[in-house]
Amino acid sequence: MNAQLSHLDMLEAEAIFIFREAAAQFRKPVLMYSIGKDSTVLLHLARKAFWPQKPPFPLLHIDTTWKFRDMIAFRDNTVADFGLDLIVHTNEDGLKKGVNPYDYSPSVYTDVMKTQPLKQALDKHGFDAAFGGARRDEESSRAKERVFSFRSPGHRWDPRRQRPEMWNLLNGRLGPGETVRVFPLSNWTERDVWRYIARENLDVVPLYFAARRPTIVRNGQLLVVDDDRLPLQPGEVPQMKSVRFRTLGCWPLTAAVPSTATDLESVVAETLGARTSERQGRLIDHDQTGAMERKKQEGYF
Amino acid sequence: MTALTAVRREDVAPAFNQELNGILHLLTCGSVDDGKSTLIGRLLWDASDLYDDQRETINKSSNAATGGAHPDFSLLLDGLVAEREQGITIDIAWRYFDTERRRFVVIDSPGHEQYTRNMASGASHADVAIMLVDARAGIKRQTRRHAAILDIVGVKRVVLAVNKMDLVDWSQEKFRAIEADFRELTLRFGFREAIAIPVSAVGGDNVASKSEHMPWYTGPHLLEHLERIPSRDVTPRGSFRMPVQTVLRDGLDFRGLAGTVSSGCISVGDRITDALSGQSAHVLRIATMDRDLEIAKQGQAVALQLDTDIDVARGAVISASHELPTLASQLEARLVWLWETPFEPSNGYFLRTVTDLAPISSLTINSLLDLETLAVQPSETCAVNDIANASITLGREVAVDTFADNQQTGIFLVIDALTGASVAGGVITAASQGEASDGKIFRLTRELLERGLCRDLGDSEDDRREFQRRASETALLLHAAGVQVKIEL
Ligand SMILES: Nc1nc2c(ncn2[C@@H]2O[C@H](COP(=O)(O)OP(=O)(O)O)[C@@H](O)[C@H]2O)c(=O)[nH]1
Repeated sequence: MNAQLSHLDMLEAEAIFIFREAAAQFRKPVLMYSIGKDSTVLLHLARKAFWPQKPPFPLLHIDTTWKFRDMIAFRDNTVADFGLDLIVHTNEDGLKKGVNPYDYSPSVYTDVMKTQPLKQALDKHGFDAAFGGARRDEESSRAKERVFSFRSPGHRWDPRRQRPEMWNLLNGRLGPGETVRVFPLSNWTERDVWRYIARENLDVVPLYFAARRPTIVRNGQLLVVDDDRLPLQPGEVPQMKSVRFRTLGCWPLTAAVPSTATDLESVVAETLGARTSERQGRLIDHDQTGAMERKKQEGYF
Repeated sequence: MTALTAVRREDVAPAFNQELNGILHLLTCGSVDDGKSTLIGRLLWDASDLYDDQRETINKSSNAATGGAHPDFSLLLDGLVAEREQGITIDIAWRYFDTERRRFVVIDSPGHEQYTRNMASGASHADVAIMLVDARAGIKRQTRRHAAILDIVGVKRVVLAVNKMDLVDWSQEKFRAIEADFRELTLRFGFREAIAIPVSAVGGDNVASKSEHMPWYTGPHLLEHLERIPSRDVTPRGSFRMPVQTVLRDGLDFRGLAGTVSSGCISVGDRITDALSGQSAHVLRIATMDRDLEIAKQGQAVALQLDTDIDVARGAVISASHELPTLASQLEARLVWLWETPFEPSNGYFLRTVTDLAPISSLTINSLLDLETLAVQPSETCAVNDIANASITLGREVAVDTFADNQQTGIFLVIDALTGASVAGGVITAASQGEASDGKIFRLTRELLERGLCRDLGDSEDDRREFQRRASETALLLHAAGVQVKIEL
């Protein structure tokens, strides 16, 4: 019985601890559910933290209307399977104005269809804490993120307002007008997420597995055409290719990678041996250096 | 550039579903330009699972300081834009890498005097600290300060990396002199293990492989040493403690006290006591969503079902009946002031332990510690980056241990009641039940609260929590009005 806990056991226990602390300290938490692999792990840990009860908070999905159809189907199945409450919110105003991922720059699109509606939904329901799946290893600006990350009124992230975190003591006493983002996966890496999905045998969106899909190449990136809303440029003829995704988002903004990994085992093997970091596949990140950081200050995650 | 490819491990196919042997949290500290970023960058480069795009970036770089002979490994540790522009690191950055055996978490914190608080909060998460010195300069005043901070927050293992050995001609004599200074320095503190290793970060000497330049050094290289250190939960020694985070129910007969074992271990059938209520019971079941456990040890998150329903709520510390924590309202403590706003005796403050939150009815600063001389200066004030000895009287009793007895239940934060900020972090040096003796204490009783402020509350768990909350807030308001309060519920 003196066996060392493995690093995944330690990460799991830490996330459960964080979930329980946040649920006890905040009045009205919500889990930001984006359907991808990180959200899948996040939700699984939330279920463990409160078992045999259901997680004492709803899920919130910000729907840009440009998610892959497979993602939406997976979301609805998950919610039904576990009997969870789901809130779906879309920025109707942005939708009416026709803000889409191909006519608008990624930063404008992200702001109007993701950041603004997230703030709208948090305000509308009066959530004082929102769980997110962000990891410190994702990007250098996140390397300094706290587990309890405070937001000033207007959801702005102000580096000067962030509280030092010592030992495992989590202080969730909110100042006037403050809300908080809680990151139970802070200390996980992309590889841990996959190892854990394999270990716990979790279902993930099928898009993470290779299949023959209609693809085009645009700006050097491989895109999978999920419906007919994206106007094709001359010469762009969808070709069937065996591809999969390392991250999921809005389909015109998410690059696929060529792959033949059709099951969990081969995806994990591919990820553990991966040669490039995952964010290469997320087009909005290539805007400019420090883009993520600016997005954070604006309240993107 | 043969040295660069020598220990690359990227072609080793990692095992499917591999779980690593625990996590080692590593703090790096040193003065600016001692080579901290280069050392960690080099460790990542040589021994870890970097992605190709990261390697390419580094390969394309070149380090002006070495005349371009080496890539600039420090680029692997870039930080926030604003800080990059300022050219300094002011916050704590976290990095993760795996060697073949284990997960390393590198906690990078600034070393300058004006960042004592950052270093203290970074160090509080560390299992081991690498203290970096330049071989040409040796131990500095700064090094002493760092050792003192590490000791205060409970880091038990330190490694002195004597860097830039290439610039002193790999001199054994130089290294031995620094090593001797280091020994003398560490003797003053409570470290369990202190070792000095001669390295050259740019060349990778004794970083992740043995240096050919220093045959006289027969000890382990840095990575070898780090991989041998036990990860934090390896020995479930110490008294059993589990701070209760919440109570979980299944709507039938299951009532589970949910929490993470903070020290020791517990088995089904063991007798436990809640020090706050004084009630005892036996463990009937150690439940998790996956399966029931026979035994739960330090670091595991569980839900304990007891054989008798004792009245335990969040904030309690479930303990082995034969080794109880102290039920204290009077604490002596050493604390690091973390916030820009200095200590203000008339402010309302809370004391947060792992899961409890109690109003502070008086906080008195007794003295400040000079980190370089370790001398104490009497003082009644305390501001950012100060290390202070303080006396704290709580509005009600909490279950705690001294830090020397238990590093998990001997710690606390001081929280500003109004802004919510964590203004200080501290360790308990002594705890007692003792009450301030002058009769001017206002006793806030259950009866008093029930009659008015809380008369809308019933007996449900939520209502009882709300009762506690109102009692705490009332105590703070009274305290702000200059009244010493003791909550007696
Ligand atoms: N000659 C030599 N230079 C080094 C060594 N390690 C670091 N440096 C140089 O020292 C300078 C400061 O290093 P850096 O890692 O940025 O220091 P930091 O401020 O402590 O992070 C840089 O110019 C490095 O190239 C070493 O082992 N030998």
